[in-house]
Amino acid sequence: MFFALTDEQRALGDTVRDFLADRFDLTAVRAVFEDAAGDGHPTELWKAVGEQGWLAVCVPEEYDGLGLGILDAHVVARALGAGVVPGPWLSTVLAGEAVRLAGSEAQRADLLPRIADGDLAATVALRGAGRGWGADGVTVSAVPVAGEPAAEAGGELGALTGAASPVEYLAVAGLVVVAATESSTAAGAAGAGAGSATGSGGVGLYLVDPQAAGVTVEPLTSYDGTTRLAALKLEGAHARRLPGSSAAVLEDLVRRGAVLTAADLAGIAREALTRTVRYDQERIQFGRPVGSFQALKHHLADLHVAVTMAEHAAMYAAYAIDAELDDLLLAVAVAKAKASQAARDATAAMIQYHGGIGYTWEHETHFFYKRARRLYGAFGDPPSHLERVAALTIDTVAAPDSEAAAV
Amino acid sequence: MDLTFSAAEEAFRADLRGWLADNLPSAWREPGFWATVPDAEAFELRREWERRKFDAGFAGIDWPTEFGGRGGTPGMKAIYDEEMAHARAPSTVNSLGLAFLAPTIMAIGSEEQKREIIRPLLRCDVIWCQGFSEPDAGSDLAALRASGVADGEDIVVNGQKVWTTNAIHADRIFALVRTEPGSQRHRGISMLLIDMHQDGVEARPLRQMSGATEFGEVFFTNARVPATECLGGLGNGWATAMLLLSFERGASGILQYTSFRRAYDEIVRAARVLGRDQEPVLRQELAQRLVELECLRYHAMHVLTRVEQGADLGSESSMTKLQWSETYQDLFETFDNLLGSDIAIGSPVAGLDLTALQAEGFWSRSVTIWGGSSQVQRNIVAERVLGLPR
Repeated sequence: MFFALTDEQRALGDTVRDFLADRFDLTAVRAVFEDAAGDGHPTELWKAVGEQGWLAVCVPEEYDGLGLGILDAHVVARALGAGVVPGPWLSTVLAGEAVRLAGSEAQRADLLPRIADGDLAATVALRGAGRGWGADGVTVSAVPVAGEPAAEAGGELGALTGAASPVEYLAVAGLVVVAATESSTAAGAAGAGAGSATGSGGVGLYLVDPQAAGVTVEPLTSYDGTTRLAALKLEGAHARRLPGSSAAVLEDLVRRGAVLTAADLAGIAREALTRTVRYDQERIQFGRPVGSFQALKHHLADLHVAVTMAEHAAMYAAYAIDAELDDLLLAVAVAKAKASQAARDATAAMIQYHGGIGYTWEHETHFFYKRARRLYGAFGDPPSHLERVAALTIDTVAAPDSEAAAV
Repeated sequence: MDLTFSAAEEAFRADLRGWLADNLPSAWREPGFWATVPDAEAFELRREWERRKFDAGFAGIDWPTEFGGRGGTPGMKAIYDEEMAHARAPSTVNSLGLAFLAPTIMAIGSEEQKREIIRPLLRCDVIWCQGFSEPDAGSDLAALRASGVADGEDIVVNGQKVWTTNAIHADRIFALVRTEPGSQRHRGISMLLIDMHQDGVEARPLRQMSGATEFGEVFFTNARVPATECLGGLGNGWATAMLLLSFERGASGILQYTSFRRAYDEIVRAARVLGRDQEPVLRQELAQRLVELECLRYHAMHVLTRVEQGADLGSESSMTKLQWSETYQDLFETFDNLLGSDIAIGSPVAGLDLTALQAEGFWSRSVTIWGGSSQVQRNIVAERVLGLPR
């Protein structure tokens, strides 16, 4: 039994944290956070992220990657969350995973090395505004481009129409992986417009060039200055399909996103708690440190338990994906629900237990709170994951009269 | 990451499963069975069960063989906890002796104490209870007042202990007694190993809110104990008690997970019979409990990993206790929510026998008190783990 990070994985996390402390601390975060008109993508940071190999973690060695897994990526995600770091790391890693999981050999050879070294910033557009995560949330449809044979370089060409929103770092991405519904008949797909998958057709993942004809990027505001959001509009935009893609691959991709987001949230939560404890050890009121009051202590102790459980859950779910454990669906839902809740609670406490200063723009509390709030819904909010947990653990339990049969 | 057990550990699991299949009476596996057996009879059945388990080599799984243990790994102990809970085998009748006294004697006991005490304890030939709490010394243990005065070779003990699990069944008690008259707080205390079968010791049952009488109170009236029957040295009782309590720290929570996970399934079945398992609000609430239970399982793997690495979990064990006890209590609050207006009825409800779940629900109120209340645990986490000032 070894449920822990290896020395190498610990070292990876330490490297990210040390780098951030040294080269991209909260002053640097603030500069990006407050520059709402900027692209939120500091060049120096991105260059270093590429050089350090943090984009290469999940890329196979044959494509110049490190050939590691989601467990290792989760270590990076946790450290980036703790640093409330801006930039398209997560979106690029997920685009890479889509290519790795469903791309042709030629697509992998073309894209993965460029993703691994930071040459290509990328993102994913998997759902429509107001929709769920998964095949039924897709509001882009694809029809095959008539008379176009599958190109040497990749899968068949499709024409994509519809919208996806919100999409992270769309404005700086050189590549967007777009989920689109595919109808068995061209006529049905042509009329689908911005409709959604009904389950009758399949889902494909397509490689969209943001500069291509028929692609429009509409910036969206985000209260969280550690990202940039936009809506993607497609009107007959041509894009190559990832030949191995399917609704199952989309769901796999969403799970990877959910786990890495859970890790980011666990990192946010731990850092928020640590900073709050440090402040309350020193802040004097009534002639004593406010951290000596039991009202704070007991709540902070409960938060420590909750954050620790979120860390365990994110780590377990990441490993469950890599090892394809039997309970991986449950593990991912547990991790995303728990980490979302722990981060919300820890960052809310961070504001509360800093008192008035914690509610100011000048203090960093709101970086943590707002990032946690944004990620609360990313790849599924707690209620949706709890319903998943319910489906897996309530609907599968045998009724009392059929207990013998089930056992 | 490696979540598997070794081949030897899995072989142990197979052995244990086979033995349980052959030896654990099937009636015992029925939910609610133990509620039908009178306390005294249940105690003797369970004691006899412990002896059979010992004789078959399934006692003291991770204890050295020289003390009658199996000499197994921490992983085997975790497997044992899991399998016993799966099989609905009764919990031990010598829990405090096994969990606390025996490891303390192994660590600091005299050779004679090791020889005389451990094996009979493991076989449940001698049942132990713990005499720590007093009416005016609960969470504030250092306020204890039971007194011991030297008289020749003996110490004469007077005072009262309370919340004593197994008081009426126990043969001996390891008790904290103030042996230096007038001493204050942590000083002047000794841990005495007192024979319960004497005129100066009276054990009375205390009826709990659940109706059961698992604990009791113990009165000492000029009870006698040889001065040699002291663990850790006279006047050194506080340090001995702290060492003793530290042995809780190896407990991973896997036993609790396994048994609470089954309670979750039973509650879900009740929800199904009551026609409430598709109500979205109740589904959310049940799922939230399951999330916390799964986190407990991951945490148990973390603890087991640390134990195998030889780490001292220290105050981290307070987190384990908080996670399982609070989750367990919350689970039964969810149970109350799905009973709706029928919560007024004990059992059966809608034809469903709720005896066992109702008993567990009442029992769940106790788990955040005994073994260090949740409030004490939160103080420990805040001060010793987070470093907040006292």
